[in-house]
Amino acid sequence: MSDHLFLFDLDSTITKQEILPTIAEEIGLGKQMRKLTEQAMYENMPFKQSFLSRVRLLEDIPVSQIDSRIAQIPVHEELVRFMRDNSQRCLIVTGNLDVWISGLMERIGMSNNVYCSKGIVRNDRLVDVVSVIDKSASVAQLTKDYVAVGDGSNDAQMISTAKVGIGFGGVRPIAPSVLEVATHAIYEEKKLCQFLERLL
Amino acid sequence: MSVSRTVVISCAGMGKRLGIGTTKCLVDVDGIPLIIRTLRMLDDIDDVRIVVGYQAEKVIDVVNKYRRDINFVFNHDYKHNGTGASVSLAAQYANDYILTLDGDLLIHPDDMKYLLEQEDEFIGVTAPGTDNPVLTTVVDGYVTEFSRERGTFEWTGVSQFLSSRALTGDGHVYQLLEPGLPTKYLYIRTKEIDTMNDYENAVRWVLNGYSDIYLTRQ
Repeated sequence: MSDHLFLFDLDSTITKQEILPTIAEEIGLGKQMRKLTEQAMYENMPFKQSFLSRVRLLEDIPVSQIDSRIAQIPVHEELVRFMRDNSQRCLIVTGNLDVWISGLMERIGMSNNVYCSKGIVRNDRLVDVVSVIDKSASVAQLTKDYVAVGDGSNDAQMISTAKVGIGFGGVRPIAPSVLEVATHAIYEEKKLCQFLERLL
Repeated sequence: MSVSRTVVISCAGMGKRLGIGTTKCLVDVDGIPLIIRTLRMLDDIDDVRIVVGYQAEKVIDVVNKYRRDINFVFNHDYKHNGTGASVSLAAQYANDYILTLDGDLLIHPDDMKYLLEQEDEFIGVTAPGTDNPVLTTVVDGYVTEFSRERGTFEWTGVSQFLSSRALTGDGHVYQLLEPGLPTKYLYIRTKEIDTMNDYENAVRWVLNGYSDIYLTRQ
């Protein structure tokens, strides 16, 4: 049995929908959000700037409302089962904000296994973002080998330094920068889980 | 009861000699890309891994339209290594047996069924037919040697071996298999597509119902 860790991107890897675009769609800001998300995906804008611009689009919405809506986002259940079954070895690494995803993390049982960006809340409003996660810096602190799974440009670095780096295209196309560095590309949840079991 | 098997199809190379500007596994054979012809014969195989390198995204797009549950394995260094490296990469974390196929090889559908029935190790050979073959010496049903100079049958790139052998290497697949010789031989009817001449032969073969009789009449 191996002893490496398993790292997972959240958005479109664990979730079956893109999180922020889904929220934005529901409040009539879908078009602006899609544009920003696509820019981030194809690297015309660094992740941090793109993420902050997407956050600004939603900053007037009560945090509790976003949190409870994100908590209902459909997830890849089989993948979540794998994470729960191996929770000591699984980590979610996401650019999303702690205050927005806390309900979802609780629902999937990963509240204590997440690296994410941090927001400050006052009177149910987001007043500041104190850190935007740098996934490559986060994983650089790990002392064990790891398997990494993701689909976006901001996953490329952690996938390139992984023992096994998997691009997962179950929801949207895998970013070209991920395909450049991944050891594997998988497009179906069942196949991904089957392979992860092999890596245990 | 069939064995637990991972099928590895090597599609990373450039196929320069064919001169069609695309990786060989995508070459059109009577209206269907070669890789799809191969995948059609593997519908019942659960763990299919396709090693990609040159034009990886193009291969992935074509394959995904046919079947989404493929595990694509990247051989990023395909310009500098051979199919042995591709097989080594895909053979990691595999099922009990690994069946290797080359992306530029067309296999007779009946023979594909036959080789999928095999429950032990084997090396797939055929009648010599390409320009620069790797030949095999067969003694009492076992391949005893690979050689560029001598041998009765041509090595096809098809083999089945135990994944526990943990074969690694950068050269050709047959070089990975050499330490395990002698290994049972299996005769299969194939057409390898390396050159334009090979390609035309392969297309005629398919159009003729996978029969070589027309070739001998020419």
